Amino acid sequence: MEIVVCIKPVPEAETRLRVAPGGATLDAEGVKFVLAGYDESALEQALLLKEALAGSKVHAISFGPAPRTEEVLRAAVALGADLATWVESPSGSAVDPIQVARALAGAIAAIPHDLVLCGKQAGDDEAGLVPSALGELLALPDFGSVVDLRWDPVTARFKFLRSTDAGGERWEAATPCVIGLQQAWNDPRTAKLPNILKSRKAAIAKHPAGPDLPGARSEPQGFELPAPRTGARLIEYKSPQEAAQTLVRILREEAKVFP
Amino acid sequence: MTGPILIVGEVQNGHLSGPTLEAISVARSLGGSPSSLVGFVAGHDSRSTALEFGRFGVSHVWVARDPTLDSAPIAALALYIAAAATKAGAETILVGGTTLGRDLMGRLAIRWNAAVATGVTEVRRDGAALQVRRPIFGGRATETRRLDGAHVALALRPHAFPAPLDAPVDPVIEDLPSVPLPAAWLAPRRTGTETSAEGAGPSLGDASIVVSGGRGVRTAENFQLVEELAAALGAAVGASRAVTDAGWRPSSYQVGQTGRSVSPQLYLAVGISGAIQHLVGMLSSRVIVAINSDASAPIFRVADYGIVGDLFQIVPALTAEVRRVRAL
Ligand SMILES: Cc1cc2nc3c(=O)[nH]c(=O)nc-3n(C[C@H](O)[C@H](O)[C@H](O)COP(=O)(O)OP(=O)(O)OC[C@H]3O[C@@H](n4cnc5c(N)ncnc54)[C@H](O)[C@@H]3O)c2cc1C
Repeated sequence: MEIVVCIKPVPEAETRLRVAPGGATLDAEGVKFVLAGYDESALEQALLLKEALAGSKVHAISFGPAPRTEEVLRAAVALGADLATWVESPSGSAVDPIQVARALAGAIAAIPHDLVLCGKQAGDDEAGLVPSALGELLALPDFGSVVDLRWDPVTARFKFLRSTDAGGERWEAATPCVIGLQQAWNDPRTAKLPNILKSRKAAIAKHPAGPDLPGARSEPQGFELPAPRTGARLIEYKSPQEAAQTLVRILREEAKVFP
Repeated sequence: MTGPILIVGEVQNGHLSGPTLEAISVARSLGGSPSSLVGFVAGHDSRSTALEFGRFGVSHVWVARDPTLDSAPIAALALYIAAAATKAGAETILVGGTTLGRDLMGRLAIRWNAAVATGVTEVRRDGAALQVRRPIFGGRATETRRLDGAHVALALRPHAFPAPLDAPVDPVIEDLPSVPLPAAWLAPRRTGTETSAEGAGPSLGDASIVVSGGRGVRTAENFQLVEELAAALGAAVGASRAVTDAGWRPSSYQVGQTGRSVSPQLYLAVGISGAIQHLVGMLSSRVIVAINSDASAPIFRVADYGIVGDLFQIVPALTAEVRRVRAL
């Protein structure tokens, strides 16, 4: 099975967010970029499928600027991806998630793909638009918020649960399709040192995003950090009952969060 | 953008869902006169939900009766929504803050050539464009975005908008002609549905109150204390990763970077220290309350209210007090 995994570099969770000059975006100066959380899960899922299905290949693909994009691709190779493609973002211009999907779709269309796996959303912009836009652009069915993904060799179909607000939907789908993964692997594999060293020399294919990419339709105008939290108002009490009474009164009368 | 606004109706227990009602509020606040509010609903038995749109001032409802939609992927639904938008001459499509909302947006961006945004908490007109605000970085920042062009589609964030007041009109209800669906989209099949994996009570995604427990709860059995408080509050139950890693509760309970993101009206963190990977899943909650025995726990820095104390004493007292107040 040819598995394409779309991965995105995002600021690591511990990053202290700062506003860039101009006020519209994150200041990326000095920020360390890592593989987005759900994308890391998608890569782990791809590698698990590859191990279960002899002859499979995992092709990691990422859109973005140097050097962070190349770095997450090398990280993916170190973890076990067989191939890596860097879709170079057009320099200078701001991009929106739909342009990213268009650029990725252009690259994916040119390579074999039985399964296109993405994280359901990235932890920076939290847009979650790429999987469904890829489905439309590649003319494939797509499924978001997927957990418990398995390949059934008997029926030659994927079986999975699409997590919804009301619970979940069980699905079966043949290849090719696009899946936005919500699975949490609490212990995804880590790269071994020799593989990290090897990945530094791995070939990374370059795919230009394409000069014919339509313009951005949405543009960031402001990036605001919340006023620093003043810290919790601590409830004083002499007994647990008093603490409970005070909290319930505050929540009803001041915060008005329950009737 | 002052043309008609199409609201995608999602049905829950035979009624328009809470997130759909929030979308109707937004449509009305954008200055839509009743004649410019258009509803969409799918399903062969959708007359009553179509009428419900009328109760909130939506004057025209398009119904997709295609029975294949019951078990077809969202791609098929997106085709019908785009068809309804075209019929209605809509310039804006609004969907509530649900998994469906997000999954539709990428499709509509391409198929309906729309500027799109998800997780939207504020919308206003900006000349000919729409300006939206949305929390990003797990609620640690908020971005403002301008969406340009003849078509805009938005998926809202749950609980960010009020429910609409009644404004009854008698809606025109029309069936959409059937849209040919590509065979490849009909091959996948929905084989079943499962009710909330998070156990009894509302699900994490759409609950207006969430009570989460952490390692401080100590054992799987003790976790019941958290669940009893949640039941008294009518809340969904969540957990930190310490709890799901220990197997005290399944991973579907996990809130945070590698679990679910929630944004309820009230988030109660019980015996949770407040690691950044947990915070990014709940920081955009409206009111945060922490119960923790360690006054220096980072959770108190992001909470609005806190009780420093032993959860084994505080939580049962709180459950009793909530029950008492609720029974009044
Ligand atoms: C890549 C990555 C992803 C992660 N993703 C997530 C995620 O999605 N979600 C998540 O939650 N975590 C996640 N984590 C883990 C996170 O870093 C923390 O380890 C975890 O959130 C800690 O859970 P906790 O607060 O329950 O436990 P602890 O940090 O151990 O805190 C327990 C708290 O309970 C309090 N306590 C103890 N006894 C009592 C008592 N009797 N009464 C009151 N309070 C008491 C203690 O004071 C303490 O503050 C992730 C970590 C990594 C590295």
